Amino acid sequence: MDLIKVEKVCADAEGRRILSDLNISVSRGEKVLIKGRSGIGKTTLFRLLLGFRTPSFGTIYFEGRPMDPRLAWDIRKKVAHISQDSDIGEGTVKEMLDGIFSYAANKGMLIPEELQSMLSEFSLRADVLHKKFENLSGGEKQRIAIIISLLTKKDIFLLDEITSDLDAKLKRKIVDMFVGNPSWTVLAISHDTEWEREGVRVIDLEKLQESSNVCN
Amino acid sequence: MSATDITPAGMAFCFLLLLIPVLISYHLNLKLINSTIESAFRMTVQLAFVGFFLTFVFELNNSLLNFVWVLTMVIVASYTVLKNAQLKYGPFIVPLTLSFALANVGMLLYFNSLVIGLNDLFEARYFIPIAGMVIGNSLRANIVGINYFCDQIQRNENRYLSSLSLGAEKYEALKPYLRKSLRNSIRPTLANMATVGIVFLPGMMTGQIIGGSSPLTAIEYQIAIMIAIYVSTMMNVMFGVIILIHRGFDDYGMFRKDMLKGE
Repeated sequence: MDLIKVEKVCADAEGRRILSDLNISVSRGEKVLIKGRSGIGKTTLFRLLLGFRTPSFGTIYFEGRPMDPRLAWDIRKKVAHISQDSDIGEGTVKEMLDGIFSYAANKGMLIPEELQSMLSEFSLRADVLHKKFENLSGGEKQRIAIIISLLTKKDIFLLDEITSDLDAKLKRKIVDMFVGNPSWTVLAISHDTEWEREGVRVIDLEKLQESSNVCN
Repeated sequence: MSATDITPAGMAFCFLLLLIPVLISYHLNLKLINSTIESAFRMTVQLAFVGFFLTFVFELNNSLLNFVWVLTMVIVASYTVLKNAQLKYGPFIVPLTLSFALANVGMLLYFNSLVIGLNDLFEARYFIPIAGMVIGNSLRANIVGINYFCDQIQRNENRYLSSLSLGAEKYEALKPYLRKSLRNSIRPTLANMATVGIVFLPGMMTGQIIGGSSPLTAIEYQIAIMIAIYVSTMMNVMFGVIILIHRGFDDYGMFRKDMLKGE
């Protein structure tokens, strides 16, 4: 059974068609790179998968269930999503983490030793925790967001441009990590060629939608 | 001892003062001349009406009538909040009116029975003016609270969505917004409390002193009323934002932009 199935999906925003007749299936454990020029609807696809917006046509299935509000709330607890927009919180990194790990769904998942080892793993100094999140550099924000997603112990990842501001070495390390874990399902939106490697299926949203323009 | 009546000539001199803001507005092009005239006119007509009406109500002093009058105040206040907020009336007017009634009428009954110790809880002389002060303040804070919440949830939509995708329930994700709206709307009331007496003498106290009460009595009432205002304002804003959290989001947890008035 497909983990995620996008069936004949169309999406519009403010009268403009963003996605048309999109069909995608992803099975558990698969690694998928989603490509395509800006504005083609990559981020919209993730928003549809998280129930942040509803398709104007077609259906999205998750673990075989068609999307409805209850499923959307379930998905948000099962999936780790890293947004391309880095404005995800305010206050110090520590305060942000405390907030996120106070949610009932994440209680008890913030283990200080684990956090410390991840910080050093991704070349962040421990004092980053006491800095204001909004003052961090783009690359630091991306790494914090990645660490948060790892701490929540999910096995399905929706990653939206998470390596754009990182140096080559860190890019490789992070792609290695996400691609290398066989039990993880990973959907990554990226312009980085680092993601184009063996074992990663490439979905080009542009090509996929070229032939189709029917949605009613 | 009772206050001296202001003569018609005195009133005329008072209205003459409005020339100053009108001239300032004219020179700085504030575009406030019409609003100034309209507001002053409305105030005069409304107060004239209320003056006659209250004379009648006070003489009659019928509990039911007093209660109905305060309920009318509550309904008008809820309506005014929605008029000044970005929200449509339909989904909000009933719950907002109920929350206003609960927070303010509840507070008034507590106040009149336990603080002032009235035998007749609905005695017009106390019930109506105190209701006016409590409801008036709640109204102002509610507008600030609700507008701030709507602004923030739209401006920082990404933060809210990222909380959701990190596993937050709707209420967990909206708690920071509730917190900020409350802090923001309640701050002026707190500042008033902290500076009262030094920086300004509140209207009620001034009124009581001019009306012939001793300053000490006026102060007792002032302290009591400020606490009542603070408490009811806090409850009111909290109820208001909670109503918004319940009605203003769809089943997916998305903010319902269709609840906003069109531009």
